[in-house]
Amino acid sequence: MSELQSALLLRKQLAELNKNPVEGFSAGLIDDSDIYRWEVLLIGPPDTLYEGGFFKAHIYFPKEYPLRPPKMKFITEIWHPNIEKNGDVCISILHEPGDDKWGYEKACERWLPIHTVETIMISVISMLADPNDQSPANVDAAKEWRENFPEFKRKVARCVRRSQEEML
Amino acid sequence: MGNCLQGLTSSNDGVSLLRGSETPPPLLESQSSSDLQLHASSSSGMAFGPPPPYEESMPMYHPTPNVSRPASQLTEEEQVKIAKRIGLIQHLPTGTYDGCKKNRECVICMVEFMVGDAVRYLPCMHTYHVECIDDWLMRSFTCPSCMEPVESALLSTYEAN
Ligand SMILES: [Zn+2]
Ligand SMILES: [Zn+2]
Repeated sequence: MSELQSALLLRKQLAELNKNPVEGFSAGLIDDSDIYRWEVLLIGPPDTLYEGGFFKAHIYFPKEYPLRPPKMKFITEIWHPNIEKNGDVCISILHEPGDDKWGYEKACERWLPIHTVETIMISVISMLADPNDQSPANVDAAKEWRENFPEFKRKVARCVRRSQEEML
Repeated sequence: MGNCLQGLTSSNDGVSLLRGSETPPPLLESQSSSDLQLHASSSSGMAFGPPPPYEESMPMYHPTPNVSRPASQLTEEEQVKIAKRIGLIQHLPTGTYDGCKKNRECVICMVEFMVGDAVRYLPCMHTYHVECIDDWLMRSFTCPSCMEPVESALLSTYEAN
């Protein structure tokens, strides 16, 4: 996949998302001249603790996209077991494709070249609704989620409130 | 959903640093298995040292999916693995797109097939542009659409015949 092809593929996705927006998020570029750096605004999914929040995140695509996954980082403060305190998103589909040697069963959970901004956002939305505390990126949030849910809820509610204030 | 392997994330940064922003040329486009020269002797001892500067045009290989190295820096074991992978990929049937309505688009580049495009058929019958799928198969030997491991599918085809 040449650099030109990855840029074409991303331009195509951007045009498609502008034409047919997907529920739950909006997407654009951080800087109109750089197709590899996206800004998305995620709307806290209904019936989750994040409902009502507006979370801004950046997605950074490598030139080798779609052979290699992008990285995603929340810019708006967010408290979640699978999001590092600095905002880095840790979900398995954003990890490099697994080495075959370690077994095939994991391949489906890792990066695939058919993932798009839309499928990534759908995974992130489902992660917000359903955290995975097996190997958390934010250990403190994971511990709270398991052992002190009221406190976890309070922290998330504070993030949601702040995200609304930032939108004003 | 959601599972963090932090080791992987940090090693990626190292790799992208190493590679800069250069995109390696498509592996199989310019290089067939017959002219793939893997010199086992020249690589020993270099594999773990700091990478010497290499020319931009040098083909890159992926001994593991998130590692890229020119052939001269691969260990003997990696060379064998990569040579075997190239051999297996070339066993997969190819053809030119004939306008078949069932496969309209290459889901890797999201471009519709044009009659005459070089396509590769995986054992699961998913079809891609040769250059799109070959690059991927060098990294992960699975079908991107159905996640079927290509190697075991190939082996079971052999056994059936
Ligand atoms: Zn293609
Ligand atoms: Zn398939």
